[in-house]
Amino acid sequence: MPDKKEFIEIIKANEGLIYKVTKVYAQSREDGQDLYQEIVYQLWRSFPFFRNESKISTWMYRIALNTSITYFQKEKRKSNQVPLDVLIDRMDTKDELSNQRIETLYASIRMLNTVEKGIIFLYLEGKSYEEIAAITGFTVTNIGTRLGRIKQKLKANIKNE
Amino acid sequence: MELEEMKSLWGEISAEVEKQKKLTDQLILKMIRLNFRNKINKILIPELSGSVVALAAVVFIMLRFQKLNTWYLQAAGVVAAFILIILPVLSILSIHGLLSVNISAKNYKDTLFAWNKGRKRWVLAQKLGFYLGAILMAVILPVMVRLMDGKDVFLEPRIWLCYALSLPFFLFFTRWVFRKYLKMTADAENTLNELEA
Repeated sequence: MPDKKEFIEIIKANEGLIYKVTKVYAQSREDGQDLYQEIVYQLWRSFPFFRNESKISTWMYRIALNTSITYFQKEKRKSNQVPLDVLIDRMDTKDELSNQRIETLYASIRMLNTVEKGIIFLYLEGKSYEEIAAITGFTVTNIGTRLGRIKQKLKANIKNE
Repeated sequence: MELEEMKSLWGEISAEVEKQKKLTDQLILKMIRLNFRNKINKILIPELSGSVVALAAVVFIMLRFQKLNTWYLQAAGVVAAFILIILPVLSILSIHGLLSVNISAKNYKDTLFAWNKGRKRWVLAQKLGFYLGAILMAVILPVMVRLMDGKDVFLEPRIWLCYALSLPFFLFFTRWVFRKYLKMTADAENTLNELEA
């Protein structure tokens, strides 16, 4: 049985990470609540296998991203989830202009395909190419190439808007 | 929005989010407990109930098989029993293929690869299940009528009318379902291609 106290501390220390992953992958508030909970659950399930060989954040990014890509198709909308409005709405208190910019940012990311979404998320999180490669499994060179493509795609989207 | 602008805004969001600590011990524990119960309810119960019903129908057909006194009713009985066994197995295997993707041991690329391969297999199983389900509907009706009511519906002209009337609906439904599956297969295929790019 994993150490509950230690797990809770880790989750509390990294709650922002989970929040941001849900914002990138979830299409709606309801999806966001479900995904948030699923990530915490999957982290709990994987926690006994975490061996301190990598940083705790690297492990969390991997589980959170993997959960997001496998979650929405296998789960249909359901009930009995913990109400998480308080967690999901945390940025909504800012002024309207900021909210609009933030929504545009999330919309730009959501337009990318699943592979690109994961890479851009880690890039925005300030991860180095080496760290992104370690989490995603792509080579460092490939990460560079893909980021270049993402840049082009974002530019093209601006032109089309 | 360009990449540089995105990065700077992302930094602002991160700083704001870090300031807001909202998770409590109770909330985390609740999420773990509730989710476990949900998973069991959502996946296991419908699958097991379906399998039990199918198995009960097979047992029912087998126990009264001698009542199927013509070659065509016996053939329909065998086909129905075979499909009733195959359908739950097919469904459980394809779902298991998706659920067994080990997200804690794999990286993002390998997870995407395994997941999309599983999705393609799942779509294939669903298509096969759809055809088998249609055949089952056609063969189980005369078998059950014979076993429960003693009548041979093949001798009544109405059954052929029923089959004839249901055919256009089946064809329409097939097209609708397969269009949906086509999109899912295409999505999975695109992701697999993207991983190779």
